[in-house]
Amino acid sequence: MDWIAVGLAQDVPPGVVIPSRIEDTEMAIWCTPSGRYHAWSDRCPHRGMRLSHGFVRGETLACIYHGWQYNETGSCDYIPAHPKLTPPDTICVPTYTCVEDGGVIWVSLNSGNDPLPALGARVPIRSVPVSLSAKDVAAHFGTAGFTTIAVVSDYDTLLAVQPCTDTSCILHVLATPDADPKAVSRWVEELRTTLEGVPA
Amino acid sequence: MILYDYVLSASCYKVRLMAALLGQSLTLRAVNFHPGREHKSPEMLALNPKGTLPVLTDGDTVLADSADILRHLTSEHPEWRSTDDDTWLAFASDLNDSVGLARLHDVIGYAADIDKTRAAGVTALRRLEAHLTEQRFDGLIFLTGKTPTIADIACFPNTALAPDGGVSLDPYPSVRLWMRAIRSLPGFIEMPGIHRLHELAHPA
Repeated sequence: MDWIAVGLAQDVPPGVVIPSRIEDTEMAIWCTPSGRYHAWSDRCPHRGMRLSHGFVRGETLACIYHGWQYNETGSCDYIPAHPKLTPPDTICVPTYTCVEDGGVIWVSLNSGNDPLPALGARVPIRSVPVSLSAKDVAAHFGTAGFTTIAVVSDYDTLLAVQPCTDTSCILHVLATPDADPKAVSRWVEELRTTLEGVPA
Repeated sequence: MILYDYVLSASCYKVRLMAALLGQSLTLRAVNFHPGREHKSPEMLALNPKGTLPVLTDGDTVLADSADILRHLTSEHPEWRSTDDDTWLAFASDLNDSVGLARLHDVIGYAADIDKTRAAGVTALRRLEAHLTEQRFDGLIFLTGKTPTIADIACFPNTALAPDGGVSLDPYPSVRLWMRAIRSLPGFIEMPGIHRLHELAHPA
């Protein structure tokens, strides 16, 4: 398990930051105004505020608490209370390997050397939270790994599974480009009802 | 128009927000809802026998239901109305009774079966997310179309405040983008727990 889907590009347009997580690793996922995606530790090094509460300003991510701004490498560029200070290099946010591919935002907490999951010709539809662990979802489909699970349906569906907690995960749903997205959306709602209805 | 108002009330904020977006000025009368229970005082009960907030008076008209107040404020603003509004005004009550109640439980100690109330909140938010996602497939961002209506203003406050009641909004991307669109509207105002978009402020 190297690459994990943490969101769909269509849900994180340029200038937006969102909270996300892979198990115990809490992340701020953000997109620069010029369209580059980043996944960072969701803690401001200053006072520990969640950076996902912050805001994108220019090509930086700013903390909501005291406005410290971090450039795309995660280094602090600007401290509003000390406008003339050049912040030392030691003030930086831990970053993770993050790429957008096929409309999916992928993060690797490891080397990021593995090839990205193959999606075929499928396109992203939507992300759906499920009150079930990623492991239990994989078990339901009779597979051990859960990075992506191809599910037989009328829409050639593929689930990219994001493990969140022991009782929750997010399914990022992809389908054949000629599928009606509303039909796929309703299909995955039914799938969730089925998954959550199965006794643990 | 006079609004009998409590600053932490999601339903009072619906009225303040709608008026601000319309550029309609309101005279605010602060009511000590908590801990003073002033909404149950003889003076307030004379105005509104139900003993609830918000209450809006406009001349001789007294309105004590937030949906009725939103309709009243927009009676001459058809651009803020849609034929689908009633569905979502009813849904706004579901939000009030679930995530809204969970927040009142956590913030000011209302009695509630908190697990059941939060579960009802998740059900409501899932319904909202599914609808807004389908709207996005059609290139629409608001509940009933391309532009906001009283439906959006009725549903926004309790949704945005859901984390105060222990119900996370993290897993709902379409809800997040919808709230962002509302917060971007010209004339948008804040309340405690709902902040403006800092991105729109002047860069340092």
